[in-house]
Amino acid sequence: MTRGRDGGRRLEGSAGTLERWAAILGGTALGFAGARRGSWALGALGGGLFLAGAAGVPLSSPLRQAALPAMRREPTTTQANVTIAVPAEKLFRHWRNVRHLAALFPHLDAVEILSDTESRWKAHGPGGVPVVWNSRLDKIRENELITWHTLEGADLPHRGTVLFRPAPGGRGTEVSLTLAYHPPGGVGGNAVSRLFGAAPEQQAREALRRLKRIMEVGELPTIKGQPSGRAERGRVTSKLREVTG
Amino acid sequence: MRALCWNGVNDLRVERVPDPTILGPQDAIIKVSLSSVCGSDLHLIGGYVPTMRAGDIIGHEFLGEVVEKGPEVTRLNRGDRVITVSIIGCGKCWHCQHEEFSLCDNSNPQPAFEEAAYGHCTAGIFGYSHAFGGYAGSHAEYIRVPFADTNCFRVPEGVTDEQAVFVSDAVPTGYMAADMGNIKPGDVVAVWGCGGVGQMAMKSAFLMGAERVIGIDRFPDRLRAAQMKAGAETLDYSRVDIYDALLAMTGGRGPDVCIDAVGMEADSGASAIEDLYDRSKQALRLENDRPAVLRQMIQCCRKGGTLSIVGVYGGLIDKFPMGAAMNKALTFRMGQQHGQRYVKRLFEHIEKGDLDPAYLLTHKWALDDAPRGYRMFKEKADDCMRVVFAP
Ligand SMILES: [Zn+2]
Ligand SMILES: [Zn+2]
Repeated sequence: MTRGRDGGRRLEGSAGTLERWAAILGGTALGFAGARRGSWALGALGGGLFLAGAAGVPLSSPLRQAALPAMRREPTTTQANVTIAVPAEKLFRHWRNVRHLAALFPHLDAVEILSDTESRWKAHGPGGVPVVWNSRLDKIRENELITWHTLEGADLPHRGTVLFRPAPGGRGTEVSLTLAYHPPGGVGGNAVSRLFGAAPEQQAREALRRLKRIMEVGELPTIKGQPSGRAERGRVTSKLREVTG
Repeated sequence: MRALCWNGVNDLRVERVPDPTILGPQDAIIKVSLSSVCGSDLHLIGGYVPTMRAGDIIGHEFLGEVVEKGPEVTRLNRGDRVITVSIIGCGKCWHCQHEEFSLCDNSNPQPAFEEAAYGHCTAGIFGYSHAFGGYAGSHAEYIRVPFADTNCFRVPEGVTDEQAVFVSDAVPTGYMAADMGNIKPGDVVAVWGCGGVGQMAMKSAFLMGAERVIGIDRFPDRLRAAQMKAGAETLDYSRVDIYDALLAMTGGRGPDVCIDAVGMEADSGASAIEDLYDRSKQALRLENDRPAVLRQMIQCCRKGGTLSIVGVYGGLIDKFPMGAAMNKALTFRMGQQHGQRYVKRLFEHIEKGDLDPAYLLTHKWALDDAPRGYRMFKEKADDCMRVVFAP
């Protein structure tokens, strides 16, 4: 994980490191004794979580389920909100051109415009599983609201709403994205899990964050491609283990 | 190029790594000429920040020359001698527009860590763990700076490299500490920690009208510098009871403004038991930060006074004297520095001779000696205030 030589396996923003960070901070508040005795059940969930985080060991899945139920739940409706320092008209216009949306969802491969209100979407889940759906706009209120739903036969049946309203104090525009999926179980449900993993809330939030960054600064900040000591191992110029001893 | 990489707790190595390249249209590449250690790097090296990855390049206080720039960089030219503020602003979000650069919405490419831990993400910081964006740091021959127009500042002719390098981080952090204290003429300001940031906070407090400044530390060379260079009176917390001493010096009122320039690895001079308590909890990773200085400030500050916190904290603390803070009607101000807000003003102060941060530089070494430099800095050996590496 973050400490070992094999750190490279876990990529930035990976669930592993995030989980560890959250566990460390969350776990501090609770007990320690039970975890030290190796028993998770001794009411020392926090201490245990903390230690698991600190040691960089993967949490056992029953523990994770008990501790982080929110991450396991598969909601059928998810909402994300962000404030963007740009007028609503500009955001509305950007979103109305559905081709722009491909940049917001990394799983989207292509958006094809079929008519003024219909479009065809191609995405891929982890492992490249193709996911395809047709979507129709149902309600549009200029500079305020766009809603859509998928048509019969969609791999990812859902309805969506994006709402733009002016933020107080000249802060720009408050944007809400709501996505409602058909309940999991059927083909659609599987596609949802494939496409969004266990955290559709996070997907929606990240989509809005990308929108914000594109609209406010015109680029998505990145560290991909920057140098680190992970790229070329073993070419040490000067070395000192144990700075303090 | 060569760069100082963090490989694990207390394991620093100078390694060969690829040169940085332009990754975004607003990036610049800076050839580093000076790069300083900072007290907050010690928290990373010691493993108190959980999102470091083996191979990360550290360092966030630096000066250099623009050697390459992306197509959208307009305010800089190749060959410019610049400093870069250690905390990265995008320049466009609401916070940046309100000069709260360390609260930037957009400069952190890995916001999920902080959102999970803090509720919101804050700005990216060079060489300062993946929670703060995972940007490569400055202890290297070259560094990539995102949003270069917002974060790089040309150094005026009359300001030397040795003065300018600290305008990245130590000077604006100290200046902001004093600024947040809302110092009024006649105020008594106490500063916990007489390292680089503490020294700059003391100088700044005087510039803002403080009548007396009291520096608190235990290292004789730092206390001497606080006296000789920053014009402060000093207290050695290993020899005197800080509460008694401060009240004696202020007619029983306590300082009007208390500045924390220490942070999460504070030593406690006040109570051995309290210190042991925090140290054991921190060692067992049951408490992220040792809040000894915070507790002491709350106790000592005058009623209705202000606490200004620029020492770095990472996570949770316990046994926080909320009762004292509430009943004494204290004001808390805190934050990572919004350096971009202050750079112009600081260069003016340096040019006028009001402020000369160059004395913080006690050791100038080659980058290859960086691991040894950090050891010396950490142990505060040889009266080391700051080691600066010249690649
Ligand atoms: Zn610093
Ligand atoms: Zn910003």
